[in-house]
Amino acid sequence: MRETVKLISMEGFEFVIDREAAMVSQTIRSMLTSPGGFSESKDGVVTFPDISTTILEKICQYFYWSLQYSRGKETEFHIEPELTLELMMAANYLHT
Amino acid sequence: MSNQKKRNFQIEAFKHRVVVDPKYADKTWQILERAIHQIYNQDASGLSFEELYRNAYNMVLHKFGEKLYTGFIATMTAHLKEKSKLIEAAQGGSFLEELNKKWNEHNKALEMIRDILMYMDRTYIESTKKPHVHPMGLSLWRDNVVHFPKIHARLLNTLLDLVQKERTGEVIDRGLMRNVIKMFMDLGESVYQDDFEKPFLEASSEFYKVESQEFIESCDCGDYLKKAEKRLTEEIDRVAHYLDAKSEDKITSVVEKEMIANHMQRLVHMENSGLVNMLLNDKYDDLGRMYSLFRRVTNGLVTVRDVMTLHLREMGKQLVTDPEKSKDPVEFVQRLLDERDKYDKIISTAFGNDKTFQNALNSSFEYFINLNARSPEFISLFVDDKLRKGLKGIAEVDVEVVLDKVMMLFRYLQEKDVFEKYYKQHLAKRLLSGKTVSDDAERSLIVKLKTECGYQFTSKLEGMFTDMKTSEDTMRGFYGSHPELSEGPTLIVQVLTTGSWPTQPAVPCNLPAEVSVLCEKFRSFYLGTHTGRRLSWQTNMGTADIKAVFGKGQKHELNVSTFQMCVLMLFNNADRLSYKEIEQATEIPASDLKRCLQSLACVKGKNVIKKEPMSKDIGEEDSFFVNDKFTSKFYKVKIGTVVAQKETEPEKQETRQRVEEDRKPQIEAAIVRIMKSRKILDHNNIIAEVTKQLQPRFLANPTEIKKRIESLIERDFLERDNTDRKLYRYLA
Repeated sequence: MRETVKLISMEGFEFVIDREAAMVSQTIRSMLTSPGGFSESKDGVVTFPDISTTILEKICQYFYWSLQYSRGKETEFHIEPELTLELMMAANYLHT
Repeated sequence: MSNQKKRNFQIEAFKHRVVVDPKYADKTWQILERAIHQIYNQDASGLSFEELYRNAYNMVLHKFGEKLYTGFIATMTAHLKEKSKLIEAAQGGSFLEELNKKWNEHNKALEMIRDILMYMDRTYIESTKKPHVHPMGLSLWRDNVVHFPKIHARLLNTLLDLVQKERTGEVIDRGLMRNVIKMFMDLGESVYQDDFEKPFLEASSEFYKVESQEFIESCDCGDYLKKAEKRLTEEIDRVAHYLDAKSEDKITSVVEKEMIANHMQRLVHMENSGLVNMLLNDKYDDLGRMYSLFRRVTNGLVTVRDVMTLHLREMGKQLVTDPEKSKDPVEFVQRLLDERDKYDKIISTAFGNDKTFQNALNSSFEYFINLNARSPEFISLFVDDKLRKGLKGIAEVDVEVVLDKVMMLFRYLQEKDVFEKYYKQHLAKRLLSGKTVSDDAERSLIVKLKTECGYQFTSKLEGMFTDMKTSEDTMRGFYGSHPELSEGPTLIVQVLTTGSWPTQPAVPCNLPAEVSVLCEKFRSFYLGTHTGRRLSWQTNMGTADIKAVFGKGQKHELNVSTFQMCVLMLFNNADRLSYKEIEQATEIPASDLKRCLQSLACVKGKNVIKKEPMSKDIGEEDSFFVNDKFTSKFYKVKIGTVVAQKETEPEKQETRQRVEEDRKPQIEAAIVRIMKSRKILDHNNIIAEVTKQLQPRFLANPTEIKKRIESLIERDFLERDNTDRKLYRYLA
């Protein structure tokens, strides 16, 4: 099993993050674990044509923050107000 | 994002962009539909999950959830219809395999479809309360495949066929079987029950009905039970391998009903191999099997128990009423003990120590032991025999075992007071003749009797032991104060308390001068230390050791009774004596004298005196002289010992009468005790209470109780009520 996965943004930026972190998103988790050999689970690469680089970066930060939070490290996750709307849409999409 | 920070923002309803392209929904759906086809054709490797998910997401977001949902159902239904045709086309044995294969494919596809439609599952279905994708997919499979008319019956028949094959010994593909059955279970409990379990149970019931009939015609009981047990384990095994665990109880109860419950009576009563036969032949395995099988069905154990009880009572009745067998009391009791051991073992090894069976055993024994009125006497004789000689050289633990067993029989006795009477007699003889083997064993039995029946029951028996002990001390004191008596004959006196010992009328006789002098000395010694007492000599109960020298100088020590000693001592001063002379000199009552002369003169090998004329019986005209030619291998010769024996008929009557006589005061005491606390009581209740109170000792006879009540009325303890004659009133 691969340790890392690659997330690609609308603009083509690639984020390589831990598989464990990516799995914070239920949607990504399904993509990586669903049976039947979808391309995502085979290659470990997920492309998001609707998510901008800025947002995807924030999302990746959130994944790591969430992991730590769930392990008991209670810090705050800062969100710039101007990103809020897009971020929430992405969250809905990713079921995070 | 599940971040608490979010709460800081005011969230306004989000306005979606209006979709301009009217064909947007159709186009998107086509993409998804194609993907579903690909998934079903196992051609999904090129697909992008993200793309499909995004499309489904967008459709739902743009309010096309309904379209997506119905579309997914329609597409899947179409696929399943196609598949069911393929399954149906499969020939013979491959039918199940095909079904299983398609089921697995469907499951996998369903999972994938569920994943890409996840957003719909989460939002659209949630809000419209429609069935979720996965259960929907299972229902579709059920309706289009399993319930497809051409598959439905065929599938069931195939499965039942396979089970049938396995029952007749063929090997089937259990793995496949398990998968298919698992499919039923996955489709829901009701599908499993209606489409498989119920018909399966019906078919099994039919199968076992036929088979059990076949078996019972051809097998004996033991074999039948073996087969039934095998079938039962097979079915349990089958459930473990490929059925729902919940089916176990159902299928086993089918087997139990068809193979056991329906044939119970016939099995138990089967000639030459049924329960009675097993009991007689100690067939522990078969009995154990019967127990474990029959306990599964209602009334099974009751049936077994009833038959066993009936057999036990019948057997016991024969045993105790057979006049042949009651000739030897020891043998008689031994047989009872053997039977008891036998059934104890059966119950412990085969019937799992079942309490209800033990109770049945006990009540049966209680029933038949009391059928023979002499049982109490025989049990006491058995103990007597054991304590006299039987226990020699046996370890203490074993002694306890034997005694415990006897106590068990004792517990069954209804007339415990009769036993007490006999036991007292036998114990007295044992103690006085010094024949008891082990003091410990004697005492241990007394303790057992005490725990069983209370202090009252044994106080006199214990009194007897105390007397023996005190007598020893008294004798030491006697010889201590008369040192001059160390020469000459030794007298050993056992002082018995009147009342503690079974009373026998004291038979007087003239003791030889040597002895009577000693007796007088002892009397004055004893009365000197214990004033106000009365001593009388029970010469009929004593023994004596005397030394005798015969014609050619043979020296022997003779162990004889007191009477015999009196007779023999006469020959010190005379060579020849007639019967009359002996009678005059000794004053022994005629019957005792005859018996004692008989044992001295007529027993071969022990005839220390001779008589004329030679005959077996003693006549009043006979004369006696010393047998000079007497020889014996032993230095010590024992003559005419008094051994406890089975009572003769008149003796028995007498004892019986004594027992009845003894019961009277006990019944009266019970009546008074009860009336004292109740003050007023009617006749029937009084009888019931008295019977209950006396139960531990004996079974009181109602007519006897009535007589006692009347006697008490006469003596003004009670009175009849003036208005209701059935009522008794206690008079203080």
